[in-house]
Order: sequence, then structure tokens, then C-alpha cells
Amino acid sequence: MKLSETNKAWILLTPALLFLSLPAYGLFSAIWTSLHENGSFTTKHYRTLFQQETFWESIGYSVRITLLSTVLSLVLGLLITRAFSPFIQSTKGKLSIWLPMLFPHFVWGYIVLLLFEQSGLISHLLVEMGLISSTSSFPIITNDQNGIGIILTYVGKETPFVVLMLLPIYAKQQDGYKDLVQTLGGGKWAAFKDAEWPWVSPVLLEAGIILFAFILSAYEVPFLLGATFPEMISVLTYDWFYSGDWNERPLAFAAMIITSVLIGIMSFIAFSAMNRKRMLLTKGQG
Amino acid sequence: MDRLSKQKKIQFWALTLLFFILPVVFLFLKSVVLNFGFGRSSGIDFTLRGWETLFSESQLIQATLVSLGIGALVVFLNLSVGLLAGKALAFYSFKGKALIEALFLLPLIVPLLAIAMGIHVAMIRIGLSDTWIGVVLIHLVPTVPYSIKMLQSGYASIGTGLLQQAKVLGTNRWHRFFSVELPLLMPSIRSTVFLIFVISLSQYVITAIIGGGNVVTLAMIYFPFLDSAESTVLAAFSAWFALLPILFYLSVELLLSLLPYQNPWRTRL
Repeated sequence: MKLSETNKAWILLTPALLFLSLPAYGLFSAIWTSLHENGSFTTKHYRTLFQQETFWESIGYSVRITLLSTVLSLVLGLLITRAFSPFIQSTKGKLSIWLPMLFPHFVWGYIVLLLFEQSGLISHLLVEMGLISSTSSFPIITNDQNGIGIILTYVGKETPFVVLMLLPIYAKQQDGYKDLVQTLGGGKWAAFKDAEWPWVSPVLLEAGIILFAFILSAYEVPFLLGATFPEMISVLTYDWFYSGDWNERPLAFAAMIITSVLIGIMSFIAFSAMNRKRMLLTKGQG
Repeated sequence: MDRLSKQKKIQFWALTLLFFILPVVFLFLKSVVLNFGFGRSSGIDFTLRGWETLFSESQLIQATLVSLGIGALVVFLNLSVGLLAGKALAFYSFKGKALIEALFLLPLIVPLLAIAMGIHVAMIRIGLSDTWIGVVLIHLVPTVPYSIKMLQSGYASIGTGLLQQAKVLGTNRWHRFFSVELPLLMPSIRSTVFLIFVISLSQYVITAIIGGGNVVTLAMIYFPFLDSAESTVLAAFSAWFALLPILFYLSVELLLSLLPYQNPWRTRL
């Protein structure tokens, strides 16, 4: 018997679908654990979690840092790709802009420490140049309460990622549409909005969601560059997960489920904002 | 016009130099320089002690081998899953394709920490926690979605034409795969190998949870190093993280050059 085309596709997809069972199982098991105690259903862990001051502070702090890092990376990535795509496409350009991708996040965090610590390179250089009197008058921007060190690390690491995602679009971009806008009397802004944004925005959206989800829940960088208080949600979760107190373990699960829900809501808002625009666009054409 | 693009070129290189290249150069310098002579008139002291101390740690060699082994297996599994799924998504249209594509993105969006904590208990039950197999499995979660995406666009860019041509000429499936698909996909495979290895090398928290301290990868010993080691050793260790993917990549290249169709003297299939 000959296989139909559709069946062939599903056979090729089988290993990948099997793989999906791994994260799916992990997520459902985490949800289950957060909603059970001694085998019976309870919302107790969530009620305890919501009463914790540290949890709310941590969520607020994490979302603030994540939004800032994500938006900065997206904007910088877009600006760099727009301005320099012919240079980035050369091998030398590619290698140099993707250099940070060679390093794990925590190593890039260590580089940020070396540069921006009070006893770091920049502070010493400023003293040598006579701009500040001693290294101790250099502002504290690593392991600081505002998370500046964390943001610096993520922006340095993720901007190249955004460039990587956007580059294929700008490499294939046809000037025809832009010429059309200009012929029809549109300015630079109109050319960007009508001939560039429709191609760029889906990729930016995808990159933005990946970055938001990753930065909100990653552990390594805030562990290295964060302050003792407030902590990012991942660090708090890890502490709860490995604390000696057995009662705190379900809190770790509940905190991560709330984080997942938050990511879900953000992705939904971003998606629907874009789809609404698309709908308007297609209606306008009809 | 020409002056404008020259100006832009200078801007581009100033930007990448300042934000991407110099920090890395500084890291490498830091691993061989004891002090930069700030505040004193004495010159810069070079030393190789950092690198010597690093490689005299038996723990480091051991962890490097563990990381290499786990990374190689993760890369291999990624390529196997990614090539098949990438081909399906690039060449076939079927019901629910958009949904499947969205599902493959989900592992990147659900917090890895939540997934690892959730799987942990099951891994204990089936005896995979504290083993390197368990660690390999959990490393698949943040990597496979990228492989599928990269290899899908790889397949999409070669198109179906040449594959159909080979089919018409009467080749079998394996022959087609090794003499048409694989060579044409090489650029995508290269970047996949590289990226996936780096991601696997970067995993600390999920390796700690699933490996339970028994599977000691490089990331596992980096964090304790941060508190104790002196700066030249730490900088050397950090640089080692970037050198390892390059070494891995070069050995994969070497392996690939042994494939028959890479032979420059080959004249026919």
C-alpha cells in the first residue's frame, strides 16, 4: 500500500511529537503538583503564595527588568539590522555581531561584571582619565537593586539574537514596494509603515515573546548579577525548591505556574494586537 | 553616496568593536594579565598562571569531557528530530500544520525551570534522575525547537525540484538523503550544530535539578569557581566556554570532510 502525502508528513513528524511529550509532561506535572497536597486537590499553595509579600515584589521586579531588556533588545536589534544589513551580511560582519552568541549567558554576565563593577575596567579607566576621584565614586550598577547589571547582560546577549532573526528579511527585502510608496507620494515614514513593517513585525513579535519568556524565567544571570533583595522570580523559585522546609516546595511550583500564566497573557495580548491590525489591513484591501 | 556608505561602514565597525568585540578581547586579556598597572607607574604583568591553574584542576578536564559528550549526543538527537520534522514542515501541507508549528514553539515559551521541576519526580521514578541520560533529555527541551526551525528553513530554501529530479532518476531514499539533501543542507546543519552545542553548554539550572550534582558539566563547576578562584583563572575558565564550541565545531567539520561527497576528486555519484 502506498502512503498518502499527509501520512508521510505525520511519519516524519513522529519523533518531534514524541519530543513534545517531554515538556508537556513537565508542565502538566508542575500544574498538578501545585494543585495537590497528599494526593487530594487543593488551592492552598496558591493562597499561601498570594499572601507572600516577597512573591509580589519579585513578580513586579522581574516583569520590569524583563520588559526593559526585551524592548531594548528588540529596538536595538531592529535599528542595527536596518542601518547596517549590507555589512552584517559579510562573513566578517556576521562573525563580529554574533560573537556574544558564542558565550553562555552566565559568562556574558561575568564579562559585564568585569566591565561595570566598582572595581571594574570602566571605573578604573574613568579614574585614570581623572573624571572621578576614586573607584568608589563609580555608581553601583551590578548586583544593584534596579537590576541594571542584569539588563546590560541581556541586552548585550539578545540584541545579536534579534539581528539573527531579522537579517533574512532585510537580506531578501525588495526595494520595489518602497519605490511604489515613494511614487505614490509617501514619505519615509509611510515607506517604513507600509513597505517594511508588515514583513518585520511578525518576526519581531516572535522574537519578543521568546525573549520575554526566557528572561522572565531564566535563573543564571539574576543569580550572578542580582541583588539579595528583591530577587527575580526564578531565583526565588529555586530557593523554595531547594529549601530545607518541605512546605515551600509546592510554592516553587505555584510560582512557576503563575509565571507561565503571565507569559501566556503577554503572548496573547501581543498576538491579538497584531492580528487586529492584520484584520484591519485585509478589510481595507477588500 | 559612496562617502555615505563609507561613513556607515565606519559606524558599524565602531559599534561592533565597542559592544561586542572589545568586551571579548578584554576577557581574554584578563586571563593572561595579572594587573593592568592602574594607579601605579609599573607596567602590565603578563602571566600564564591562570590557564595553568585551570588545566591543573582534574575536575575541569573531567567536566569538559562530560560537557562534550552530553553536547555531542544532544546535537545528534537534535539533527535527527530536526531534519525529519523540518522536511515535513517545509514540503508538505496538511491539516493542523499551523497548530503544529505553534506547538513546536511552546517549549521555548514555557519556563524551563517549571518543566525541569515537573519532570524531576518522574525522572526519579524511572531512574533517570542523577544520570547523564536524564540530563541529555532535559537539554533537548530548549534546543529542539530551534533545530526544527532552522532545518525547516534550510529545506524550504533548497526546494523540491532537485529532490524530485533525483527521484525520477531512480535513486532510493538513503541515496537521495546522502547525495542530495545532506550536501545542500550543509549551511543549515553547520549553524544548527554550533547553536545547539552552545545552548547545551549554557544550561546550569536544569542540569543541576535533573543531574542532582552527580552529572558534573562545565556549568556546574563554573558557579562554585566564581566565589573562590582568582580573576585570571576565572577569566580563563570563561574564555574556555567560548573555545569549546569552536573546537567541537572544528571536529565536526573534520568528521564531515570524511563523507564521500566532500571529496574534491569525486567525479560521479
